[in-house]
Amino acid sequence: MISIVLMVITALFFPGVIVKSKAKFSGRKGPGIFQPWFDIARLLRKGNVFSNASSYVFQISSSVYLAAVFTALLFIPFENLGPLISFTGDFVLFAYLMALGRFIIVASALDVSSGFEGMGANREVLYGLLVEPAFFILIGSLAMFTGHASFASIFQGLHYTSYFSAVIGVLAAFTFSQITLVESSRLPVDDPLTHLELTMVHEVMVLDHSGFDLGIIKVANNLKFAIYGMLSANCLIPHELDFWVRIVIYFVLQVGLAVAIGFIESFRARNKMAMNPQYILSISAIATILIFVVIIINNNL
Amino acid sequence: MHAILFKVAFVLSLGIFFVPKSWKQFFAFAVSLLLGITSVVWAVNVLMSGQTMVIDLGIPFWKENPALTIDSLSAFFILLIDFICLTGLLYGWGYLKPYFEKKSAITLSLHLFSFIWLHASMLQVVTMRHGISFLISWEMMSLSSFLLVIFEGEKEATLKTGINYLIQMHVGFFLILGGFLTVFHATGELTFDALAGYFSNHNNFWLFLLFFMGFGIKAGFVPMHSWLPHAHTAAPSHVSGVMSGIMIKMGIYGIIRVLFQVQADVYGIGLFLTVIAIITAITGILYAIFQHDIKKILAYSSIENIGITGIGLGAFMLGKHLNKPELMTLGIAGALFHTMNHALYKSMLFYSAGNIYYATHTRDQNLLGGLIKKMPFTGMSFLVGSIAICAIPPFNGFISEFLIYSGTFQTIGKASFSESLISIGIILCLVLIGGLSVYAFSKAFGLTFLGSRRFPENSKTETEVPLLMRISSYVIITAMMLVAIFPYFFLQVVAKAVAVVPDSRIAPILAENSHALQTIGHVNLILISVFALIYSLRSLRKNKIDIQFKPTWGCGYSAGDFRHQYTSTSFNDSLRQLADGVLMIERKLEPLTEVEIFPAQRSFSTETKDLIEEKVVLKPVNRLIKELPKAGWAQTGYIHHYLLYPLVFLLIIGLLTFLNVF
Repeated sequence: MISIVLMVITALFFPGVIVKSKAKFSGRKGPGIFQPWFDIARLLRKGNVFSNASSYVFQISSSVYLAAVFTALLFIPFENLGPLISFTGDFVLFAYLMALGRFIIVASALDVSSGFEGMGANREVLYGLLVEPAFFILIGSLAMFTGHASFASIFQGLHYTSYFSAVIGVLAAFTFSQITLVESSRLPVDDPLTHLELTMVHEVMVLDHSGFDLGIIKVANNLKFAIYGMLSANCLIPHELDFWVRIVIYFVLQVGLAVAIGFIESFRARNKMAMNPQYILSISAIATILIFVVIIINNNL
Repeated sequence: MHAILFKVAFVLSLGIFFVPKSWKQFFAFAVSLLLGITSVVWAVNVLMSGQTMVIDLGIPFWKENPALTIDSLSAFFILLIDFICLTGLLYGWGYLKPYFEKKSAITLSLHLFSFIWLHASMLQVVTMRHGISFLISWEMMSLSSFLLVIFEGEKEATLKTGINYLIQMHVGFFLILGGFLTVFHATGELTFDALAGYFSNHNNFWLFLLFFMGFGIKAGFVPMHSWLPHAHTAAPSHVSGVMSGIMIKMGIYGIIRVLFQVQADVYGIGLFLTVIAIITAITGILYAIFQHDIKKILAYSSIENIGITGIGLGAFMLGKHLNKPELMTLGIAGALFHTMNHALYKSMLFYSAGNIYYATHTRDQNLLGGLIKKMPFTGMSFLVGSIAICAIPPFNGFISEFLIYSGTFQTIGKASFSESLISIGIILCLVLIGGLSVYAFSKAFGLTFLGSRRFPENSKTETEVPLLMRISSYVIITAMMLVAIFPYFFLQVVAKAVAVVPDSRIAPILAENSHALQTIGHVNLILISVFALIYSLRSLRKNKIDIQFKPTWGCGYSAGDFRHQYTSTSFNDSLRQLADGVLMIERKLEPLTEVEIFPAQRSFSTETKDLIEEKVVLKPVNRLIKELPKAGWAQTGYIHHYLLYPLVFLLIIGLLTFLNVF
């Protein structure tokens, strides 16, 4: 339960911190931390404009997306404090729930008969195809390291006996945060603030979503940040510490991640679209290094 | 008692030729239902009691009495065969309606007769253990499916495809025959059970390879898959549904029977099977993405799913060798579970593709689009099938892939170097296959059913198909939902089938993992209820707020039409740039010249050829066709020469005998 509370709190401030830090880096004052949520609240009250070409798939898409992300949220533990749902191999279900979200948003994008959204849908399935292996290699190497096969037991068993094994935690956290960038469509893979439809990935797919639909898609995106943020934090925080200390470290890490995203988005440009597949594949490559680190540490070679 | 019913069904099937035209469908369904009920009773009995049942058919034939031997593995397959054949025939009832005006009574009778015989012969294939009767049933299956494929034989292409199918099936037949004869030569027995005796004191790999090639042609393992996309496209949709849903699984059944007997060389066989299966799955789904014809997409995706089943079987063998009971148990359980899942959603997807063809008379994605607005129910079943086939919850496809994943993830911890590499390899391939199938099916569903209709001038009369053609899909969706919500129950059925393997480690592992499956069932329910909650919240606001329908956003340009949408070719393009090396895509485009200031109208077309078919099948065959006439020099046309040939032959034989060469 505690993990869900933590993630919901994170989802509340995470997007705001990104926006705030971007504003600070560019020398502006910036909106308040909760402004993104006020925007969502406004969207939820607004009316809808639907495309003439759309069908019932478009109508259900946003609800399916939020339902999938919300259900995936129930699987994430906070360290050794178990999640609501846990069983052997639960991360497979987690990954496929994320795939459900991707599938339905892609379908809704294709539903409005737009060239832009077809382009976004096409990129999204390609990037999804490329980023999923990274997640599974990462989880696979953690399973190899701990000898367990569920989120809860993996993070419970993630003890670093030496400085060498702490490398695993750092590498894993880094890979998770890279996956966050791809899954949440941030720089350098995708630029959420771009004003050119031709260069968008996620944003272009929801161009024709409006009002309530757009609002809950944004809610789901914020929850996604929190989910991957929690996964990264779980790789880093040592178990031995006091509960409250760990909570503090958790929030420091989340704010740090948000500021880091803001930093990246302030100081670097988006990749060329043709570069993106290579960039995403490099995440899998880093995850593969992790496998070999684990094999060496486990003395299996 | 029941054996008589089984035989009566065979005799009754002849009656189809004498029934009036309007009653033929009903009669065929009744006969199939008789076969179905009889065999389901047997299967349920076997599954409940756990004991093997032997039913003597009482027809003495060539030194043996053909008997139906039903163990729990056969029973599992019997249930699948009956379910798919009956829903297929029900769908065909509606699908064939327009053909009843065009086709002669004898053609239709032959078609329905073959359908019943396909049903009956598959039941025999999974129950007959004696080599000769098994091979006869196998041949019956190939012949009846051949007749079903060439239903529209007046088209030359269909007939050619049918003959291609027939030839490839016979190559497979002779390979299996060769396998049985090898066993017969060594042990003096001609049954599946004699395989164990052969395997215990001979090299296991080569005989397995012989059987694998024979059964693999039917199943569609790469590189023996080339008949599959052609035959499934040429056959009418209810036939493709049944062929892809269950007939190709007979190959899997044969491989499982052989695998269960293997004694030694387990590692080599397991590795071989896994590698071939991975190649099959990735090739299948990659080619599926690059097709424009909906039925071809589905056919290539069947190859992919055969590959996933094969990965499960490979994991079973590898786990057996490495002494990893989790990998072994969940591998075989996953393979059998996947056989069931794929039978369900793939037959339904083929029926939906049939509905599209029925309504629009085309299967080309580049001519379709926006069908969901005219055919909401067909669209819904295709959407459900697409989500299920990508192994995405909350449908049944996830359960079987989860079992295989879970087996590998439980093995990976504290494993040795090679074991970790094998596990991570299997996981990586499954993930890649999963990602590619999302690509393939978001395209298959999205470009056919969503967006706006391409070339709307052709689409004036398109409407949803009649209820008779949709019932089968509803029945299958219900079954899929049952599997998704109560996976534990179905795991128990699969566990009964797996119990054929005499290994005491299997049952406890399945019991351990049943908790996971129960939880997945609950998660599926949670997912559906969360969705229902959000959606009803959304609906509640509907009458309070302002809802408008406007043109799609196009940077302010609102006169866009269907040409703005992505096409099948453009949707593929990003992947084509990455995977160009392993594909054979012909792009026909006349490039612009520098002097051309006002370009004239041009056409652009792409065609994806099956690289493996071209290199493995067509190239050697074409070479053979070119070289064989050279042997014609011996055909001089003079009778003297023809008399000389046997004389020379006899002389050589005599000489060799004299010299004691033999």
